[in-house]
This record gives sequence, structure tokens and C-alpha cells, in this order.
Amino acid sequence: MNRRIFLLSLPGLSGCHRPNTQRLNILNWSEYVAPETIPNFEREFGVKVRYGVFESAEEMLARVMSGNSGWDVVFPTNYFIRPMLELGLLAELDHARLKHLDALEPRFQKPHWDPQLRHCVPYMWGATGILYQSNLTPAPQAWADLWQPRFAGKLTMLDDPAEVIGACLQKLGYKLNSGDPNELAKAQREAEGQKKLLRAYVNEIVRDQLVAVELMAAQVWRSTAMRAMEAAGSRLAFAYPKEAYAVYADNVAILRESKRSDIAHAFLDYLMRPEVAMRVAESKLESTVNAKARALLPEPLRNHPVLFPDDQTLARGEWFEPLSAQAQRLRDRIWTEIKAA
Amino acid sequence: MIRLRAWCLTPSLLMLGGLFLIPLAIIFSYSVLSRGPYGGVEQPFTWENYARLADPLYLSILLRSVLYSAIATTVCLLMGFPLALFISRSGPRRNLYLSLVALPFWTSFLVRTYAWMFLLRDTGLINTTLQSLGLINEPLPLLYNPFAVMIGLVYGYLPFLILPIYASLERLDKSLLEAAADLGARPLTALMQVILPLSMPGIRAGSVLVFISCLGAYLTPDLLGGGKTIMIGNVVQNQFTAARDWPFGAALSLVLMLFVMLLLMPLLRRKEGGLL
Repeated sequence: MNRRIFLLSLPGLSGCHRPNTQRLNILNWSEYVAPETIPNFEREFGVKVRYGVFESAEEMLARVMSGNSGWDVVFPTNYFIRPMLELGLLAELDHARLKHLDALEPRFQKPHWDPQLRHCVPYMWGATGILYQSNLTPAPQAWADLWQPRFAGKLTMLDDPAEVIGACLQKLGYKLNSGDPNELAKAQREAEGQKKLLRAYVNEIVRDQLVAVELMAAQVWRSTAMRAMEAAGSRLAFAYPKEAYAVYADNVAILRESKRSDIAHAFLDYLMRPEVAMRVAESKLESTVNAKARALLPEPLRNHPVLFPDDQTLARGEWFEPLSAQAQRLRDRIWTEIKAA
Repeated sequence: MIRLRAWCLTPSLLMLGGLFLIPLAIIFSYSVLSRGPYGGVEQPFTWENYARLADPLYLSILLRSVLYSAIATTVCLLMGFPLALFISRSGPRRNLYLSLVALPFWTSFLVRTYAWMFLLRDTGLINTTLQSLGLINEPLPLLYNPFAVMIGLVYGYLPFLILPIYASLERLDKSLLEAAADLGARPLTALMQVILPLSMPGIRAGSVLVFISCLGAYLTPDLLGGGKTIMIGNVVQNQFTAARDWPFGAALSLVLMLFVMLLLMPLLRRKEGGLL
């Protein structure tokens, strides 16, 4: 079809087109909304949602980096906000259209990665800790405990350089995001020393193996731990390591390329509604950043010590930060050496 | 006639050009650029990514990958050749057997690798069966070691070896075997001196396919090796994910390709005329 005919046919097309079938393109982590979240939004706003998922923040960034990816709403982790701003990918939010901002926990109304929430709204927060068989005595409570010979062959760490090197740094009393070559060299020695005890470096798949008692302990993401504990009940327990532990938060943001700002804002606001946010947290066993949603959660979850730890525990959390190119390269080399050791 | 041939070739030439040469050119251009701070590539032009490869670390990983691939190829050969021979001689049932060999391709490689995890793990089928038979007390450590990686590689790529060997055995002139027998060759002698040399083209083609596939493997060492035994494919993959160093990843994969081609040169130059 040449262009003129195409243009001529447009008025005809719009004439017979159904009204109100706006589209919204949402790119989210997998398993990160309740089953009814999107269908209800479509029904209420008369929108057709195209829903895509990604498995890592790097993948998400690679998919939207071009600036004409076709996505409107994305879910960046906190340490991806600054990079995405520097790449000019995120739209400025219009707070007049976000009526439920006050539902967020105070600390998430001014997070350090975007203190005025100009470009993103926090969604859920997560952490890394230790999941272990609760009949173990003494129970592992610190990263350092994961170097004990009693765990030989019954222990796994995450298959993720930031997590493994981070835990080693924290064990040594250094900062999670350290780029210091000396500290990183010591962390590498720790990791290589621990590797002999490890059954594997694995991520989510560890859940089944802990539930089936194939392992005694593992470094896990809290979301994995929650699902494992749901399956195994009190046989498994989770610890926020004594030294310090990694924390991150996923956010909702609108891409600057989006031409659907109105409906995208409506979606952000919809996600912050206490009932909607509560259902996501309830069905996915995640820690909502939404205080009003938490108040609506049914009891075993509302004051769950793992989902919502006390202030003292929270204070030990260290946020992942974006790393300098130099630190990133050094860490990748160290990771490759650990893996090749 | 010539025009017909040209027309028939057009789709594959377009495929090759569009889906192979152009991406290859893109990879090359990435490999001589600088790392963008958050992934992607940036100016300026540099050879540094290639210079970084001259590092004993990557060399040792490459050597290990070559070793694993060579072992896996050998095991595939030892298993695949007898099977191909058997199939080629099983008369009307050979089509059934051939489709059984190809059957695993109906499911994705990822799913099949996960299936192996469920077979090999401590509470997996193999260990629970052995335990219930009273043959072992403690589960055998089958998963998350080089042995599991080897199983995964052999399992994954065995059909690539069986099919080409079968193809050359199929073409084998049966009267040559009769002649060998008439001249007093025992079955084993006939196998070594007639069948084996004549099926060399298939053996070579299949081995090359398996070896190259193993060399680029990254899922198997990750999932069955538990990330403890790293192969060169994992290093490449890591550059495009966690390390966010696309130029280095591109340089690595290009050098790997070049390495494979150099390795195969002698095979491609065989006087019997090509790979197949």
C-alpha cells in the first residue's frame, strides 16, 4: 500500500473503530502482579494491556534502551533509576494525577534514589538473606556461618556476582557496593574459600531443594524464601544476616517515549490503591511499600517478621547502588575467577 | 535452468546475508567500540577488548571448554556410532528408530535440561529408586558437578552425531560388505576396514557439529553444573547480562568463532572433498 492510499483510508478506519480501546504496554518482572490486577484495570479503564515480562533488570534495560521500544510502563529496580535517568529514558511524573501517593510508607515517599518521586513510584521491596532448615542448631544467623564445614555439600549461594561478592564484603565488615580493589580482593578469597563447601550457585530453583531437604542452608532472595516457607511451613526459617544484608526496591516508572501518559499515570495510581497493592502483596508474598495496603493484609502476613522486619533489622539493610564502570569490570573479573577456581 | 537455480537459491542467500552476515557485522562493530556505562556500546573505536583476551584466565576457561567438548564428542561417538549402525540395519523399523532419535527435539532444550535436574537431584528419580532398592544409603551426588555437565552435553547433542553417521551408513554399498565377507574378512575386520572408513564423512560432520555446539554451551554448565564449572559460553553470556560489557562479550564470541574455524580448517581441507 502506498502512503497516499494509506492516509486516505485512515478516516474510514477510525470511523468504524471501536471507541475507548486504548492500549497500554507494560513491561514487568514475571510473577509480580495478582492474577486479577491487569484484567480489572483493563475493565475499569477500557484499556487493552500488552503485558511483557523480563527476568533481570539488565534485560529490561537492554529492551528499552533504544528509546523507541514500544513500552509505556516499566518496573526498574532502585539502582537502575539513576542509569535510566542518565540515559534520558524516564518521563517526569505528574503528581496531580497520582492521588494515592500518601498511601506509601513514609520512607518510600522520599527514597534516596528519587527523593521527590519525580520519575518513579516504589512498588515492592526485597532483600537477600539465609534460608535454612529450622531444626539446625545453632541456626545460621550470619553470613560468616555459611563458611562452617558442617554445611559442606549442603549449601548454595546465589548465581549472581553482586550477591555473592556483596555477602563476602559484608562478612568482612565492608560495604555492599565497595569498589575498593583491596576489599574486593579479600572478598574474592572468601568466596573461593567457600566454594569448596558449596553444592552450587543457583537462584530460584533452590526453593524445591530446600523444601525437599536436599540442602541445609542457602543464600536466597527473600521472595524465594517466602515461597519456600509457604510450601514447607515451619520446617524452614529465614534470617536477615547479622553483619548486614542487601536490600533493593522495584519501582514503577513511565518511559519518556510513551505517548500514553494519561493512561500510564492512571495505571501507576491504580497500583497504589490500597486494595490493589494489598492483593499483589498477598498473592505474591511480597513486601509492599504501601502502608495502607499492609494494613489491609490478612494477619499472618500483615505482621510477618520476614515480610515486615522490625526497625532494628531494617537498619542493617544496605541498598544496592549503581557501580562505576571500573568497579563493574573489576567485579566481573573477580566473579569469573571465582567461577573458574 | 540457470535462472531456476538462481531463484531457488535466493531465499537461502537472503537468510545467510540478512540473518547471519549482517548480525556478524554488528557483533564485529560492537567488539571494536567501548563499553557504555549501563550496557550498550559507545564511541570511541578501540582494540582494547581484544587485548583483554590475552589473559591466562580466559585462556584456561577456553581450554577447559575445549576439553569438556572433546570428551563429550568422544562419548557421543562411542554411543552414536553403534546406534547409527544398528538403525541402518534394522530394515523396515529404521524410520521408527530415526524418529525416536529426533523425538527430543519436540521439546525445548531448557525443559529437557530441567528434566535432567529432576532425574539427577538428591530426591530425584535415580537416587530415590536406588535408595528404595536398598543399593545406597545416602543419595549419590549426581547433580552439580562436571559429570552432570557431561551428561547434559552428551544427551543434548547425541542426535547431531547419530543422524549424519546414519546418513553415510545408509549410502554404504552393501555389496562391498559381501565382497569383504567373500574375501574372508570377519565381521569385526569388515567393520574396521570397510564400514568405518566409508562412514568417515558422517563421523567427521557429526563430530564437528557436536564439538562446536558443546563449545558454545552455557545453559548446561549453569543448570547441571550448578554454576561451579564455568565454560566459555558462560563468560560470553555474563558480559551481556551482569557485567554489562557488550564490546568484550562481542570480542570474546568472535574470537571463539575464529578459534573454532581454525580448529576445523584441517577437516575442511580433507582431500576426500569437504565435510560431508
